[in-house]
Amino acid sequence: MSQALNELIDALKRLPGLGPRSAQRLAHHLLNHDRAAAKRLARALARAAEVLVHCAECNTFSETPVCARCADPARDRSVVCVVETPADLEAFDAAHVFQGCYYVLMGRLSPLDGIGPKALGIEKLLARIARPEVKEVVLATNFTAEGEATAQWLAERIAAAVPTCTITRLARGVPVGGELEYADPATIAYAWHDRRVLTNQQS
Amino acid sequence: MNETRRGGSDRGFLLHAEPWRETSLLVDAWTRAHGRLWLVAKGAKRPHSALRSVLLPFQPLHLRWSGKGERLTLTGAEWLGGMPLLSGEALWCGYYLNELILRLAPREVPHPEWFDAYETAVRALAAGEPVAPVLRAFEWASLQATGHAPQWPETGPVAVPLSAEAYQAVAQGAWSAPIVAREVKPWLRALIDHCLEGRPLRTRAFMKEWVTNGKG
Ligand SMILES: [Zn+2]
Repeated sequence: MSQALNELIDALKRLPGLGPRSAQRLAHHLLNHDRAAAKRLARALARAAEVLVHCAECNTFSETPVCARCADPARDRSVVCVVETPADLEAFDAAHVFQGCYYVLMGRLSPLDGIGPKALGIEKLLARIARPEVKEVVLATNFTAEGEATAQWLAERIAAAVPTCTITRLARGVPVGGELEYADPATIAYAWHDRRVLTNQQS
Repeated sequence: MNETRRGGSDRGFLLHAEPWRETSLLVDAWTRAHGRLWLVAKGAKRPHSALRSVLLPFQPLHLRWSGKGERLTLTGAEWLGGMPLLSGEALWCGYYLNELILRLAPREVPHPEWFDAYETAVRALAAGEPVAPVLRAFEWASLQATGHAPQWPETGPVAVPLSAEAYQAVAQGAWSAPIVAREVKPWLRALIDHCLEGRPLRTRAFMKEWVTNGKG
């Protein structure tokens, strides 16, 4: 086999979820049927790897040292919302409820996979939150076991490092427009767990 | 490998899940009468999958499966509930219990007593009981289940001496006794390390980091 082809297959195999056979199939497809797409992919990949950095403020991918969102003077600097991925950030922002700043962890803790706080680089987050203008941190990691573990870990670390900061967690509940009848039991169990007081009468 | 077609259902817990193909999860499940099973939860990563919200660790489930080979197909998972969520220190301890099973339990070997010890431990953690006695009880149950629990006066394959008083506490399951923290804990740890053949536990390093960095 040609060395160039070997190298391509080898490079593709490093992608998550791609075994040797899928890597081979992809390489053959790109070279056989779609040479234009192959060249475009090569250019896009080279450019992205060249110009993208982590935003110094929010840690998401950016072409400038500080991303456009963080550079926006209209953003409320007193609140920082912590999410796992850039996709989570976009989803959150699409709700148009939050005018504050974000921090993207680029992952989550996973004790059984050996992904600890060091791998997650939470020192950068702590330094970000330690700024005097930050009054609240919203932990918006996912409602998976690992997302929850990450939120608890961060809450402890932030409380210890920046005691003046209020730490909040997104509420869990039954989906909007959803009826209890159709909600799954786990969601109802968590909604019950996170129930809130509407009236607080003492007679 | 077992190539005959088999189906079944059992009470169980999810120990660990990892992405499987595009939209599925490969679940390492701990069941009462069937031991550890590999169950493929097809489509569980899709946004509207009914399995998605149920497949969580530290929650009792009723699992159904069918298929052949070592990876069976999860055909249903029912939420049994009744257990509060683990949080804080109890959550890290829960991950430690899971890792002990993942590392020590062979696949598809039933261990009902070990399973019950696990469920008891998770319930105690969820109820906010002091974690140390819970962990010691489960470590001992794990050693017994895997045939690594030494009988007094033999102290096992490790060079950590154990006094008669300490062994008495072990035999009676008096895990809150002061001597347990002092003498039994290092003994159990040495025995478990011996079972693990020197490969360190990931959750142990994690808990150590938590104690040094977090709670201080
Ligand atoms: Zn930014």
